[in-house]
Amino acid sequence: MLVRFFFRVICVFLLMSQGTVFSEPPAKRIEITDLAGETQTPLTVADRKASVLFFLLPDCPVSNAYAPEIKRISAEYARQNIASFVIYVDPALDPAGAKKHAADFGYETPLICDTSLQLVEATGVTIAPEVAVMSPQGKRLYRGRIDNLYAGLGKRRPQATQHDLRAALDAILSGKPVAHETTTAIGCFIEKRTPKAIRSK
Amino acid sequence: MSSRRTSSPRIECRRTGCRILKMILAAAIHVAVSRTSLLAEVTFSKEIAPIVFANCTACHRPGEGAPFSLQTYADVKKRGELIGEVIASRQMPPWKAAAGDISFQNERRLSADQIHLFAQWIEAGMPEGDPAHLPPLPQFTAGWSLGEPDLIVTMPASFTVPADGPDIYRNFVVPLGLKTDRWVKAIDFRPRARSVVHHSLFFFESNGLARTLDEEDPQTGFKGGMGAMMRLRGGPPVLAADAAEEEATPSTGPQNGNGLNPLENIGKAKPATFGTLGGWALGARPQPLPEGLAYRLPAGSDLILATHFHPSGKTEEEASTVGIYFANEPITRRFTAIQLPTAFGAFKNIDIPPGKAEYVIEDSFALPVAVQAFGVGAHAHYLGKSMTMTATLPSGETRVLLSIPDWDFAWQEQYRFAEYLSLPQGTVLRSRITYDNSVDNPRNPSDPPVRVRFGEESTNEMGAVTLMVVAANESLMPQLLDGYRNHFRQSLLQTPLFRLFNLKK
Ligand code: HEC
Repeated sequence: MLVRFFFRVICVFLLMSQGTVFSEPPAKRIEITDLAGETQTPLTVADRKASVLFFLLPDCPVSNAYAPEIKRISAEYARQNIASFVIYVDPALDPAGAKKHAADFGYETPLICDTSLQLVEATGVTIAPEVAVMSPQGKRLYRGRIDNLYAGLGKRRPQATQHDLRAALDAILSGKPVAHETTTAIGCFIEKRTPKAIRSK
Repeated sequence: MSSRRTSSPRIECRRTGCRILKMILAAAIHVAVSRTSLLAEVTFSKEIAPIVFANCTACHRPGEGAPFSLQTYADVKKRGELIGEVIASRQMPPWKAAAGDISFQNERRLSADQIHLFAQWIEAGMPEGDPAHLPPLPQFTAGWSLGEPDLIVTMPASFTVPADGPDIYRNFVVPLGLKTDRWVKAIDFRPRARSVVHHSLFFFESNGLARTLDEEDPQTGFKGGMGAMMRLRGGPPVLAADAAEEEATPSTGPQNGNGLNPLENIGKAKPATFGTLGGWALGARPQPLPEGLAYRLPAGSDLILATHFHPSGKTEEEASTVGIYFANEPITRRFTAIQLPTAFGAFKNIDIPPGKAEYVIEDSFALPVAVQAFGVGAHAHYLGKSMTMTATLPSGETRVLLSIPDWDFAWQEQYRFAEYLSLPQGTVLRSRITYDNSVDNPRNPSDPPVRVRFGEESTNEMGAVTLMVVAANESLMPQLLDGYRNHFRQSLLQTPLFRLFNLKK
């Protein structure tokens, strides 16, 4: 306990002395195989203007309700050279379950099961649905909600009135800074301590 | 919860610094020890499973409307933190009524202790405990929960619910083929696409008008909403009590009568070609009317399902199946609805300025005879914020019959009292409805807010709390209905709308 505390103090001290504590270091390049068997580097897509990672949980109603908007955004921005990935963040979800969900909801972007939650960790997302937008060099340009359709759990607006993800992508495409680099997403928590072996029916 | 005593460790001190340290240390140890002794006792098997099984599993199981199952330790642990949040905010279990003075049937509400217990369990790392302590999983009747219905019908064609977009209100016509009048005790409802069907209100219509509306609309069914209901009724409703020859009762759904232009019909006995038959909401068990009461269903009626859909992210096909339970003998006891304000607030001159965070309408009615109340419901649209109905007894005592502190249009529920509630003659019923037309109301359909007035569309507002009653004695029923009609007339006379109509004539 005490050792860990001192360790933390030293870490903070070191970080502060380097002056890097407040700037987002570029994410490391992560190679991961998608459900079609292709190798992907979703945090660093070199030949595109940016990449969008949609973090989803297949049994979260809020996450599912966004499917049509996610598909529209993926399709519209693919034409402007922005890559999209659907990332499933339920460690207990097997590839067959993920494929079925994607087929049911009609996702056509590359599908990734982030079983070890390494992409979750690298981007800092905590909620499904939540998105991260990465530069080709792996700098996180935006993290947060897709739009403000939900004002809270169980509080769905008739329609969204702020389209944060689209605004961020439009800013990136026109070379401007993203107005809000992070926003608060509403949805289901990504549970980090899920026991691996247990599967429920 | 046991409170084991913890003895503080012995540390000898002379200096103040040391004494403070000792105090801190003692406190820390005390907290640590008492916390572990407390937390060690909360386990899934013993404390949490009974709460979940009794309050969540009815909806959260395979084949039901909720998004995932909550039947096992793994199911619950997997979403532990989310569950902690939705129960602390009382979003789950869905039950909009606050704890009032009267208890309801099938009440779904967790006590503060239960919510606290859950929080403790999460903090302790969600231990499973000894599975031997696990209570049995609740058994739910497979099939129709009230037994085999007397009549089972299904929508003749299915309706396509799009993947997204605003909520949908749609009416469907289901022919029943009844040769004689029947009395309906209960209706059970089975949606096919459970994830999108939120609630459905049932009506009958025996003039073939609904069929015409259905045929005029290229898709299955026809557009929901008050306008359609007015056409079905063959004109505006007069009194809640008249709407179906006084024995049927309006529920509080959006498709119910709003009393627009009620002048022509006032006092006229209406032929019952249209009326309500109750309703179904996600997670609700079918609730038969109290013993001896039933809805009249005329020969040749079509059943109308006024269904509310929530798009789920995926296109769905809905074809609901309905099971109807008839009473064997003709029903002699009538019941009625006392709706306050009358006509869903049509005479309250509702006119809510943009930005107004609390706009209030109220109404009151003194009971002309003693009644027995068996249910209560409320209705408003998206700006509705809170509703209450109270009863002030002749003794001066006031009881809260219904209080909904955080109205949500999506969860319209009929609340049935656990037992008949006797209200003596002279009891004053008061209803109060508030609206929030500010930007802070996330359900506000307009951004920025706009002026909102009374009307049938969901972007207009209306509102009422409705009490379901029988007269203490059937012979007092005419007096009760007359009294309410009189109240209706009084409300009407006070409205600017009335003067408007008068000028036109
Ligand atoms: C009357 C049926 C019903 C009961 C009872 C019920 N739920 Fe739900 N639950 C739902 C539905 C339907 C949803 C999907 C969201 C919606 O439609 O509002 C849901 C969603 C949820 C969610 C996801 C959060 C969200 O907003 O999507 C959680 C977590 C949850 N329920 C937990 C519980 C717990 C814990 C209990 C018991 C204490 C419970 N529920 C009781 C019907 C029910």
